[in-house]
Amino acid sequence: MSETRSYKAQKLVERLQVKVNRQIMLSLEACVHCGLCTDQCHYVLSNPGDVTYAPAYKADRIRKLFKAHIDWTGKTLPWWVGAKSVYTDQELEDLKDTVFGKCTNCRRCSLNCPMGVDMAVFNRMARGLLVHVGVMPEGVAVVAKDQWEIGNQMGVLKEDYLETLTWMEEELQSEYNDHSIRIPIDKMDADVVYSINPREAKYDPRTIAEAAAIFHFAGENWTMPSQGWDMTNFGLFNGDDELGGAVGGRLYDAVERLRGKKLVISECGHGFRSTRCEAPNWGKRDVAFPMESAVITMLGYIKQGRIQVDKSKNSEPVTYHDSCNNARSCGMTEEPRELLNLVCSDFREMHPNRAENFCCTGGGGAMSMTEYAPRRLKSARIKADQLKATGAKIVVTSCHNCVDGLFDLIKHYKLDMQVKLLVNLVASALVVPERPSRKMRPLEGYKILVIDDEPDIRVYLGKIFKDQGCLVTEAPDANQGMRAIKADRPDLVTLDLILPYMTGEKLYWELRKDQKTADLPVVIVSGYAAVDSPRIDFFGFLAEKRLPQPNGFLEKPVDPEKLIETVRAVLLEKA
Amino acid sequence: MPIFEVAGKQYEVDEDGFLENPEIWNQDVACDFASSEGVTELTESHWKVINYLRSYYLQFGIAPMIRKLCKETGFKLNEIYVMFPSGPAKGACKLAGLPKPTGCV
Repeated sequence: MSETRSYKAQKLVERLQVKVNRQIMLSLEACVHCGLCTDQCHYVLSNPGDVTYAPAYKADRIRKLFKAHIDWTGKTLPWWVGAKSVYTDQELEDLKDTVFGKCTNCRRCSLNCPMGVDMAVFNRMARGLLVHVGVMPEGVAVVAKDQWEIGNQMGVLKEDYLETLTWMEEELQSEYNDHSIRIPIDKMDADVVYSINPREAKYDPRTIAEAAAIFHFAGENWTMPSQGWDMTNFGLFNGDDELGGAVGGRLYDAVERLRGKKLVISECGHGFRSTRCEAPNWGKRDVAFPMESAVITMLGYIKQGRIQVDKSKNSEPVTYHDSCNNARSCGMTEEPRELLNLVCSDFREMHPNRAENFCCTGGGGAMSMTEYAPRRLKSARIKADQLKATGAKIVVTSCHNCVDGLFDLIKHYKLDMQVKLLVNLVASALVVPERPSRKMRPLEGYKILVIDDEPDIRVYLGKIFKDQGCLVTEAPDANQGMRAIKADRPDLVTLDLILPYMTGEKLYWELRKDQKTADLPVVIVSGYAAVDSPRIDFFGFLAEKRLPQPNGFLEKPVDPEKLIETVRAVLLEKA
Repeated sequence: MPIFEVAGKQYEVDEDGFLENPEIWNQDVACDFASSEGVTELTESHWKVINYLRSYYLQFGIAPMIRKLCKETGFKLNEIYVMFPSGPAKGACKLAGLPKPTGCV
């Protein structure tokens, strides 16, 4: 064996010295090779006879490096304790195959280790060492890059994310025939700031709508941030603490920027664990607000009577799959069961369950590592048997990653089952309350943007609208007004004509020219008088530019009743 | 390289069953892959979705957001899931010959 190392192998060895901490060292030292972990691993159970899947064997691929470079026994008696360093790039590839391709970091072996060896803690470290020298599955690299550079793991652009939220809001309003249902974006001082998995925005936003309906009927004061909304964290999977800290930090920044009181994390095991438990350490920052899984939030709403549910609406037999990150690593085992028993009528346990449950086989980022897919599916046999034995038609989980892992194996093993999240079941069990009379506050929930350069007028108009239940935003000039419209389209704009920088008539022209805002209701509220400002001839301007008439026109001083009457006519006619 | 065999034809695919060379896609590919994704018959509606995904992919090199897909084809979200039981990412994209979408899917 040559004693010269490849560049990458040398860098990896140097990095090892930095990354081994007390926790990792204990786990690497403590193993006595008793073999109790062997039967705990779904890879071993699905591939009997293949020793390379045994947790102790996999751990030794990493342990030999530790022995060679850090532990005194390995430095003194290397042949005795199996100490061996890495020298070639091929050896790094072999290590990659083990730490990414033969372990999902599910920690089932750790739980059953009499010596307390935490396999996942050093397996993750080894992944981080390889990532540090650029050795990783391509899928992991792509996702980590998107999370670094675009801010979410699926490269969803801000405008697409916002448009998707608006779309879901419209769908909800038409589904429940209730214009007051909102998905509020960047609302300040909300009690709940809700964060999601980018997969919800990119491919299946039904879960966003379902959560929004639940928040709405619970009367929650909630919001979704326009940035820092991705609660997933590939730092957990690729062992890169810097990435993990940066991604978590964006969420914490979002909540702090909005002065939110609590961060609620949609159903995602690794996202919850990373955000709630790990990222404050990775990013070395204190987080002052509470963070909770949406499972707990939904359960709270039912127990406090804030939403009503009817379990007979979910009558098919249901079983529950505990996500390794939620159950084993974060101890969330009872709340999902309590919730399930409230929203479905035939719940059956899967065995083993809770912290002893088997991995969905898609954990630890495995869903993004295409090269290991056949191995993953072969190793899913044990999970497939477990699912089948329940006789359930629906397997519910509280993790998007598990949804995909389970979906794949159900297809592969031809099981007759559907996969759902708890939010799906809670939403379908919802009993929609009778709508309160709209007579008193007929404009409840409508978003009004008041554009006026005089603060007094803005406060005055805002008060009138707020008394009617409207959500009011304000802009002191046309430019800021335009930005507000683009960021969060209101239902109606009141527009002053005489404004600094850009006149109201110019803004009106801009709005009507743009296809997206051509139908946005605009009521002019202006001290229109040719004597006061001879430069403004609004109706002449309309004729010259061939623009349609505004939806309403009121002269200052404005009579509150006249204002409400006008706005109501415009909004209700539109609805 | 894994091979997907159907009706006497062979396709090179990745380990998740997505077409290895998206550029060799033609309408036969969609027909041949349909049954593996639980699609029994390719209707005019299916083609509308597949053709949109295809043209978006050729232009931008990625799969579109579901929002764009629904807006451009005029289908409701639930209709997409009825048409493609394994969903837009794993089902429709596979039939349209796109590479496997990245991330947790």
